[in-house]
Amino acid sequence: MPEVCDVVRAVLAPFVGNMVADTCVRATAISVGKTSDELTVADLPALEERIRSLLAPIAPADTIDAMVADIKRGVE
Amino acid sequence: MTERLAPGARGAAQGLSHARTRVISGATIGTSSVMFGLLAVFSYFNGLSYDGQLNATTDTIVYVFGIALVPLAAVAAFIGVTRFPPGERVRTQWLLISGAVATFALGDIAWMILELGMGIDPYPSIADVFYVSVYAFFLAAAVVAIGSYRHLVDIKMPVIVASIVAFAATAVVYIALLQPYILPAGTDELSAVGKMVSTIYPLGDVLFMLGPAVALALVIGRLGRGRLAWPWWIVVVGAVVFAVTDSWYSYADWSGIGTTAVLDAGWIGANMLLATAVFVARDVSRY
Repeated sequence: MPEVCDVVRAVLAPFVGNMVADTCVRATAISVGKTSDELTVADLPALEERIRSLLAPIAPADTIDAMVADIKRGVE
Repeated sequence: MTERLAPGARGAAQGLSHARTRVISGATIGTSSVMFGLLAVFSYFNGLSYDGQLNATTDTIVYVFGIALVPLAAVAAFIGVTRFPPGERVRTQWLLISGAVATFALGDIAWMILELGMGIDPYPSIADVFYVSVYAFFLAAAVVAIGSYRHLVDIKMPVIVASIVAFAATAVVYIALLQPYILPAGTDELSAVGKMVSTIYPLGDVLFMLGPAVALALVIGRLGRGRLAWPWWIVVVGAVVFAVTDSWYSYADWSGIGTTAVLDAGWIGANMLLATAVFVARDVSRY
């Protein structure tokens, strides 16, 4: 199964680039007291919340919904 | 164009559904092609007009045709905004960009009514209120757009660098235009209002168009090949074309070297780029 952080990066990078995708992952990891590589499926709610708050000003809600759905699909 | 992924992310990307092969929609390509096609036709005949090869009637037709192009771009831009769902925060940024195009269009229409319809000198006039409003709309759009990335990338350094560029450009404008031509102009040459408007334009071009465009470019440059940056690159190009065209017009007019058909194409093309950006903005955010 792919790492959660890699799935998130893979979904976000085509839209916001590698650096910003990595920022989203790291910001979430820090908020739950982990490193990016330590994120697990259990951290998905925190990831989703963080991604929604970071991307809401720059992407429409339907796009973010699809990103989140793709991330969930990718880690399951 | 797709983002080059890190090795781990590349493996994880397999099986995900985000990889749309065609990002730019037919609506965007069609709308842009029509707009820039009409601009090419106008530029050809406008060039003939500048060379004195057209009769008075054809000159007028070309003039009206040219005036109609920016309102066309404004309509396209607002149609582009309606492609975003209502209530979206990102919609505001593109509404402001559309507002910039619309106010320029209103300026053109007012200019034409005064010059062609009423036979009076349109400078300075109500048209300038609309033209100057373009700066307010563009600046607001740039500020909102840059601010929307504040939690994702560093925006302080881009703003500092852009401020330095804008003030350096202001110095160039002062040395090349304001000091030798505009500020010494007497009342026989220009009214107080005219002098104020003539000063606002070149300063607005560098402070409210070029500066914000540089800041925007530095911010979205951090997105690399991320497709959400694409429409903002088009906005940056449009703003630079606008600022250069407008500043060059002021210099050409005041220095006496004369204006050309290229300048007319510059204003119209810049507004068409902004309208195209609105369409592209929705395309790149579709999943």
